[in-house]
Formats: sequence, structure tokens, C-alpha cells
Amino acid sequence: MNFDVRKDRWAAAGALTVALFLLAAAFAPVLCAIEGQDPYTYDLDALDSSGVPVGFGGGISADHWFGVEPLTGRDLFAIVVYGARTSLAVGAGATAVAVVLGVLIGTTAGFFGGWYDRVVSRTIDVLFGFPSLIFMIALGAIAPASVPRPLLVVAVVGAFGWPSIARVLRGQTLVLRTRTYVTAAVAMGAGPARVMRREILPNLRATIIVYATTLIPGMIGVEAALSFLGVGVAPPTPSWGRSIGDAIAWVGTDPMFLVFPGGALFLATLAFNVVGDGLRDALDTRTAG
Amino acid sequence: MTAVRFVGGRIVGALVVLLIVSVGTYAVFYLLPADPAQLSCGKPCTPQRLADARAFMGVDVPWWQQYLDFLGGLFAGRTFGSGPAAVHCGAPCFGYSFRLDAPVSTLIADRFAVTFSLATGAAVLWLLLGVGAGVLSAVRRGSAWDRGAMTFAVAGVSAPSYLVGLLGILLFGFTLDMVPVGGYTPFVDSPLDWLWHLVLPWCVLAFLFAAVYARLTRGQMLEVLGEDYIRTARAKGLRERRVVGRHGLRNVLIPVVTVFGLDLGQLLGGAVITERVFSLPGLGSLLLEAVGNVDLPVIVGVTLFSAVLIILANLAVDLLYGVIDPRVTH
Amino acid sequence: MRRRLAVIAVAALSLSACNANSSDGKEDKGGTEKGGTLSILTSASSVTLDPAKSQNLAITTLGLLVRRLTTWDIQPGKTAKVVPDLATDTGTPSDGGRTWTYRLKDNLKFSDGTAITSADIKYGVERSFAPELSGGLSYHKNLLVGNDGYKGPYGGQGLSGIETPDEKTVVFKLKVPYGDWPWLVSMPAFAPVPKAGDAGPQKYGQNPISSGPYQVESYQQGNSLKLKRNPNWDQAGDPVRTAGPDQIVFQLGQDSAVVAQRLIADSGEDRNAFGASFVPPAQLAQIQQNAGAKQRLVTSEPGALAYLALNVTRPGLQDLKVRQAIQYAVDKKAFQVASGGTVGGDIATTLITQGIAGRQQFDLYPADPSGDVAKAKQLIAETGRPAPTLTLLVENGATDVSQAQAIQQGLVRAGFTVNIKTADEEAVTAETTGANADYDLTLASWQPDFPSANGNIQPLFESTEVGNGGYNKSRYVNGEVDALIKQATGETDPARAQGLWAQADKRILQDAPVVPLIYTKNSFLHGSNVQNFFVAGFPAYPNYLKVSLKR
Repeated sequence: MNFDVRKDRWAAAGALTVALFLLAAAFAPVLCAIEGQDPYTYDLDALDSSGVPVGFGGGISADHWFGVEPLTGRDLFAIVVYGARTSLAVGAGATAVAVVLGVLIGTTAGFFGGWYDRVVSRTIDVLFGFPSLIFMIALGAIAPASVPRPLLVVAVVGAFGWPSIARVLRGQTLVLRTRTYVTAAVAMGAGPARVMRREILPNLRATIIVYATTLIPGMIGVEAALSFLGVGVAPPTPSWGRSIGDAIAWVGTDPMFLVFPGGALFLATLAFNVVGDGLRDALDTRTAG
Repeated sequence: MTAVRFVGGRIVGALVVLLIVSVGTYAVFYLLPADPAQLSCGKPCTPQRLADARAFMGVDVPWWQQYLDFLGGLFAGRTFGSGPAAVHCGAPCFGYSFRLDAPVSTLIADRFAVTFSLATGAAVLWLLLGVGAGVLSAVRRGSAWDRGAMTFAVAGVSAPSYLVGLLGILLFGFTLDMVPVGGYTPFVDSPLDWLWHLVLPWCVLAFLFAAVYARLTRGQMLEVLGEDYIRTARAKGLRERRVVGRHGLRNVLIPVVTVFGLDLGQLLGGAVITERVFSLPGLGSLLLEAVGNVDLPVIVGVTLFSAVLIILANLAVDLLYGVIDPRVTH
Repeated sequence: MRRRLAVIAVAALSLSACNANSSDGKEDKGGTEKGGTLSILTSASSVTLDPAKSQNLAITTLGLLVRRLTTWDIQPGKTAKVVPDLATDTGTPSDGGRTWTYRLKDNLKFSDGTAITSADIKYGVERSFAPELSGGLSYHKNLLVGNDGYKGPYGGQGLSGIETPDEKTVVFKLKVPYGDWPWLVSMPAFAPVPKAGDAGPQKYGQNPISSGPYQVESYQQGNSLKLKRNPNWDQAGDPVRTAGPDQIVFQLGQDSAVVAQRLIADSGEDRNAFGASFVPPAQLAQIQQNAGAKQRLVTSEPGALAYLALNVTRPGLQDLKVRQAIQYAVDKKAFQVASGGTVGGDIATTLITQGIAGRQQFDLYPADPSGDVAKAKQLIAETGRPAPTLTLLVENGATDVSQAQAIQQGLVRAGFTVNIKTADEEAVTAETTGANADYDLTLASWQPDFPSANGNIQPLFESTEVGNGGYNKSRYVNGEVDALIKQATGETDPARAQGLWAQADKRILQDAPVVPLIYTKNSFLHGSNVQNFFVAGFPAYPNYLKVSLKR
């Protein structure tokens, strides 16, 4: 273990930021109730005749802490904190899907080998070869309106996210399988399920945790990108990616419309990345040198 | 002999992968709630004209039949319609876009020049920047440079590409008015204009990717520098520059080359978001337009092409291992 | 955009030259200065150049390349007029409006120097029937005699409904009387195509043989279309095209927000450019705060009708009371703001749009622009059922999504649940005009293809236009309305026809299959060197044929 104070301070700041975002997301309705707003109600009186928020910084006031959205007058603070819900829920959900699939497929492929392993490896190649973004766009287009959008995004993003973790776990399992304590357990008659649970998985725990942490910011980014391209969660459910896509056009007239959701997305991704780095350093003594 | 068998095996595997990708693409896009014939029926449309357009485009049969027609076209070419007005698409026919009135292979060839320019230019930049910064950071671990570079890198990894791209356009395109905004000039028309239009997209892509490579290189370098043989080399009194350059870098290159091959392969298959943000008419834009226009032949063609590139990149990476590290055997 | 010495020098030169010349009459007739390279910035990634496949208005891209029998005279502040183009007049009807005869002007030549004859007109129209060339404006295809089963001239067959008694005369025979025929022959399919120069349906559109002032120099799909002058075009015989610029370059596939930003910045070559796409609301707001750009913004008179179509075949919307409730619940004010505010359009209550002859102003569902929620709730209560859950299908552009949310929040106030479903433009078009209509509501905008109330009503509400690519997105079927439409279409007396159309307008809205939202105003932005750039009420698009550059 390496105790680099500066690194730890970074990681701690990252963890604190992540915690703040999680709290904001969890208590979004409470926060909005304190402010007295919600992310759906139009307030056309807060806009001038061409749809631009009236007042300083995009209409920042005691009523609207982050100002209002152009063209609608909806409260931007409410949109950002509810957007945190969307981003974190989708990010965490997609990561969970990817990790569960990746662990199941990767470890079994490494453990059992043979034709099953070859099939898995080829499948991973196929998935790496798919232009996945285009596929997600297409799936977004074909899914009927009755399928809840957030679930669809979680499933699709997760389904394309598992190959990288599966590949790493497969490699590590291949190594673990040859270790003496594993061969010993097998020789003593332990079944494959037991060996996996007792011997293999505990040794992969660090890798899985680090990988999951580093996957989350990527997943948040993919959700935002999909929403930016117009195929993410359906409006009016707030999403940082969609707000950013809308706000870019307004940056000349109402820059704060971009600053709040853009800043939130950047900060959240950054915080998860810093935490991920910290975890990797703490759990993986090799790279910590 | 083993090398030949290795390459042969990989090619067979690649063909299987391509087949699966193409079936998947066909099946998924067939489900789109849009009838390509209807979009080119004219205004106003009649049932008879719609049926004629469907028959001409070959979309009046089930999707698996269309897929078989597509496979047949790959080997034998295809003819749409009949009589003197029939549209021919010679083997290997990757499909024909009725929307754009061109064989898909021609469209891909036209657009690939743009994507190739974008991807290779950016790749050179990010390799130099990323690996350079990573090595320096590792060697001067804990220095102000290291901290600065790594902070910058984690920011680069966290920033969404479209946000960086759009802010770049605002800053360098509009506020400072240094580079043109949007568009592309072919190299053969005017090398200077070509360069001028691509500078900003290159820099934006390079910034985002260099961040990944700097972190990767630094991590690997630190690991390698801690290994026994480096200590031995140092103990033998070799100069640090030689230790890092000869022994360190060579071992760092393996993971870097792996990631680089995949990244470049994916980018060459179309940098969807970057091309969209910068209005570059590359493969990614072609694909997005095709999805929007339900231009199935183009979607399948470009998807397959990009899968081929990724598979080739994988193969190249595997072969390169042998060159970088002779100990690796297949 | 680029800051290079040469460009600045040229710009400075042209600026001083312009100052020196503004009063000494270097301009030729009609105030059009000649020369320069005009850039047209568009979000479209491809341009359909084959006249048979084109849906272009008479005054946009294809109008620069090919002439037709008639064309449109669009001038600022005047109503649209159909005027002769290749023909000597707008057509002589006989047989009660079933036969239309045209004579070609003298000395007409293609870009390759050969003479334009009546056979070339006939061949051009015949091509538009080929399935290989489908996709263009097709109004004429339902009307011409001999259209049944006709599949174009490539198999050697001719169309019996078109006669060419001599090299200069074309006679069209129609199945039914059609009073608006002079407008139909201004459509792209009525451009001449020489049979000898037609290398096949897939080749001709790459570089059509031109009859207008320009011809294609190069075309790179997704990137640019360059036009150069056609030396065989004769200004004297073409009163509507002024052909100012020496060269016209279409920059394709440009993001419309970025285009607006470039034109606001107005630097370098963009001074010689205009945007072909509407200025998005965000940039409209930005322009309001920028005096220089504001001068270069051109906003049309209220034109196309933006409306909310209610799919009357869906269970939730079969009840007239529910549809009437929606009429009251919709927040037209929020929709207007989402469309750019007052500069985006005026609140609408009728189907026939402003500027169309015979329009009558009325409002069957009078309410504040923000809606009458109480009235809507009352109507819902009268049905005895809760307000239904509805799916609103819209395109995924930023403006469309804002507009959809404005509709959604309006309906939610009256107890409706509205799910927004977004898809690409073409996918939305395909679903709303196709057989499988999996939507309750959809947003649409309709600009007639020719300025007659016929163009406002028939394509959107006749029962024949449901599915199969028709634009009756409400899937509204009413025999009474069909009969009115038939009667009005065949009426050759304009005043009586207009009365019938106004009657149809009211009759349809009584059934509430659509909610008229706003009469949209389209805003376009041009660079500071661009002259003669204007947008009329109909069509609410710039007249490409007259745009020129300051020299």
C-alpha cells in the first residue's frame, strides 16, 4: 500500500464530490421543494419576447437559483438536480448490467476454456467490431414508445459495455486457474461452482471494483452523448446531455444555460475518474510502485 | 508455418464475425418503422406507385430474402429493375443507395478520404503528445510537471468530446476567428485549405485521446521502471536516458499499441460525434445521415466496412507484437 | 471564417469599390450586379438534381439549373404569380379545363447548344413516371390521360396524355378538369430533358443538361455542389432569373446553428453567403441583440401552418369531445415561444394560411393563446372517462423537441398524460404517412406546393391521402369533406372555388382532427455582400433566382 498524501487528498475530494452528487440525486424532490420549483412547469413570464431569460446570468434569482431555461422558463436548478438522477441512475444501472454480464461471461470463459471460451472470445471480437453508437441510435429509433426510455438506455449501454471487463477477467481467471490452491481445491473434489465462488471470485474482487468504478463515468458519458444526439431518455425527463445539446446554441446569449449542466456532467465524470484512480492505486500495489 | 496458420485462422474468424455483424445489422434495421420505398414515393403518393417503388428497390420481400440478395450481390453483383433503365451494381456489390443514386462502395470511397484524414492526423498528434507526456511524467514522478500533466489528463478523460469540440469551435472559430468552422476541402484541391479545415478537429480529438495515452503510458512506464531488469540496467551504470529509451519504452509500447490499434480502427470506421460537431462529410456523417434517411444499404455497407477496419486493426496489433517483442509467439 | 491576408484584401477592395460605385450606375437592369461567388449554406447533405425526382420549389436550387413551362414570379410585398417560363403564356385551357395547350418561346437552347423542343418537355414528364425515378412532386401523375400502368419512356412507350403536334407545341390531356394546372407545370418534372442526353436514370441526376442560367461544375455528395454559368442561356428570354453571381457554391451538411453563428460573425467569405435553413430560435434571440446581424435577418410574412395532428383512428381520440378538449388545452403561446417567439410566427386558428386568396378568418374554439384549461376539463368530464394517455411523435431536432414539450405541458394541465417519442425526420415522415400509425399526436408544418387553398386542404384532409405516403396525418375520413374537395378542385371559377375551400376549412375544424398552432414565419440570415435577398409570404423561402452579390 502506498500512502501518497496528495493523491489521497485528490481521491477524497473526488469521493466527496461523488457523494454530493448522489445526495443531490437522491433528494432532488426535497431540494426542489425547498427552492419551490420543479423541472416541468413552464414560466413564460421569466422570458422576454424572443424566449431569452430575463435578468442576470440567465435569470438567476432567489426563486430560480440557477436561472431558467430559454424558450420554456423551466427552472434550471431543478433540471440539473433531476438530471443528476437520470445520469447517475443510468450510469450506475448500465455499469451494473455490464459488470454482471462481464463477470459471468469472463470468469466462466477463463475457467472452463475449450469451445465455450472460443465462442465467448469471438463474441467479444464481434462486439468490439460493432459501431455501437450507431446501434444505440438505431435501437432508440425502433423501440416503441411503451418501452421506458431509461430502462432501454440502461440495457443497451450495458449490453455493449461488458466485453472489456469480460476480457480482463477472462485473462486473470486463466492465470488463477493454474494456481496451486485452485488445483488443490479441484483435486479435493470441489465442484466448479464452489471453486468459482470460493477461490476465483474473491481474488478478482479488487479488479472488479476498480473496473466498475472506472466504467461508471464512461457510461454516464454515453448516456449524455445519446441524449445529446436526441436518442437518450425522452423529454421532458431532464438529462444533462440534452441540456448541453440545447445550450450550445444559446451560449452567445445565455452562457449560464451551458455552464450549469455542462459543469455538472464534467464534475461528476471527473470525480468518478479520480475516485477510480485512487481505488486502483490503493488496491493494486503493482502500479502504485 | 505457424504464422501462416495463425493469420489464416484469424481471417476465417474475421469472416465469421463479419457475417454475424451483417445479419445483426440487417435484422435490427429492418425493424425500423420506416419504409424506404415510401420515402422515395413522391408527393402525393399512390398505392400503385408505392408498390412499384418497393419492387424496384427490392424491398418487397422479407428481410432474410433481402439479406440473401445482399450476400448474392457481394459475389455476383446485382441489377435493380429491368430493361434499359435498370440499375447495375457490379460485384462486389455492397448495395446501392437509391437515395443518393450511387453504389455504396463509391459512397464509402468518397467519404473515407475525409475520415482517414481526420483519424490519421489526430492519431499522429495524440501519440506524440500522449506518449511523450506519459513518459516525462513517469520519469519525473511527483514533479510539478507530472501533477500538471496528470490533472490535465484526468480532465481530458472526463470531458465529453462534443462539449470540447463545440467550445473549441466557439473559441477558435468565432471568438478568435482563427480557423474555418465546418466543412472540408479535399487534399488534392488545396492542401492548405485541407490542413486549415482539419486543424481544430485534430486538436480536439488529440486532446481527448492524448489524455488516455498519457495516463496509460505513465502507468506502464512506472511499472516497467520498477522491474528487476531495469534496476539491473541502472546498476550496471547505464545512463537514465538509455534505460528509459531502450528498455522502458519498448515494454511500454505493447499496451499502447494494443489500445492504439483499436482506437484507430474505430475512428477510421467513422468518428460519429466529431464529424457531426465539425460538419465533416466522413463515414460517421454518412452513417448518421443514412440512419436518419433509413438508407439501409448504406447503413449495412458502412457498418461492415467499419467492422472490417476494426478486425484488420486487431490483426495488425497481433502481428506487431512479434515485431516489438520477439518473445511473443503465436 | 478564415483570417487570411488575401481574403481581407479582397474584402477591403470590394468594400471600397462598392462605395465608389453605389451611385454611378454600374448595375445592369433590375439592380442586379454581376459576378462573384455566392455561397449557400445548407444542412441538407445531398441535393436531388434529377428534375423527375426533385421536390424543389420553383424558386430554389433546381430553378437555377432548369427552366419549366411556367415558373413563379416572387417579388417582395407582392402575391405569388404564375408566369410563363419556357412557354409563351401560362397555358390555354379548352374542353372545360381538361386540355391545356402551351407554345414554346423562340431560340431556347440547352447548355450543350442544342435546341429545346416540345419533345424534350414530353420526355421529361414521361421520365417522372418511371419507378426508377420516383420521389418527385407527383401531382400531375394522377391527372394525365394514359397514366394507368404507365412506367416511363425507358421501355419505349410514350404517354398518350401528352401530344406534340409540332416542335413548339405541347398539349396536355387531363382525366378531370383542373383549374390550377398552370401551377403544376411550374414543377420540376416539366423541365425539358433531351432524350439523347439521358444516359439512364442513375446517371442523369449527377449532371443534368441545363436550360437555366447555371450548370453543374462539380458535385460531391455530403460536401459541396458547385454551379457555373451556362453560356447558352439567354437573359433576354428569361424575365424571372437575374443570374447575378458567376459561381454558386452550396456547402452541404452544415449544422444550422453553426451556419447562423457564421453568418452573424459575417467574416471572410461568409459575407458572400446566405443560409438556406431557418435560423434556430437561439440564434434569433442572439440576433435581436446584435444590430449588425439584425439588419441582415430576413423574416417572411406568416406562411406555413404549424399544427398538431390528432390521429382520429386511435381509441383515445375517437371521441369528438376529447379532440375538442385538446383544442382548448393546447398552449399555443408556449408553442409560439418554443418556435422563437413573435418572430417565429402568429397564433393560428384556421387551416387556410394567410396570404392565400379566399382565406376567411374564424376561430371555432375561442380561448386565450395559452389555452382554456377549465373548458378543456369540462369537456373531458362530459365524456365520463379520464383524459387518455397519448403518444406524441416528433422529429428529434432541438426546436421540434422544445415544441413538443410546449404541447405536452399544455395538455398535462387538463389531465392528459403525454409521452413524447422522438425519431429522425425521415423516420417520422415515414411513420406519419405510412400504413402503421403508432402515434396519437404528431407535430407537422405544411406549406402548400402551390399557392392555392387547394394546396392547404386537399393533401392534408382528403380520405385518399391516408397512409401510402399521403400527408393526412390525422387519418381523417369524412365523405362530406371529400365531396367538398372534389367540387372545389373541379371549379374553374376562382371566386366560387375559394368559397368552397373556405367552407371546407370550417367543416374540417368542426371535427377537430388538427389543432392549428401558428402561421410560421421563417427567418433567414445572409452575409453583408448579399443583395436582392428577400422572403415573400408564399413561399416563405428565399428566392434563389434573384440573389446577387455587391461588387
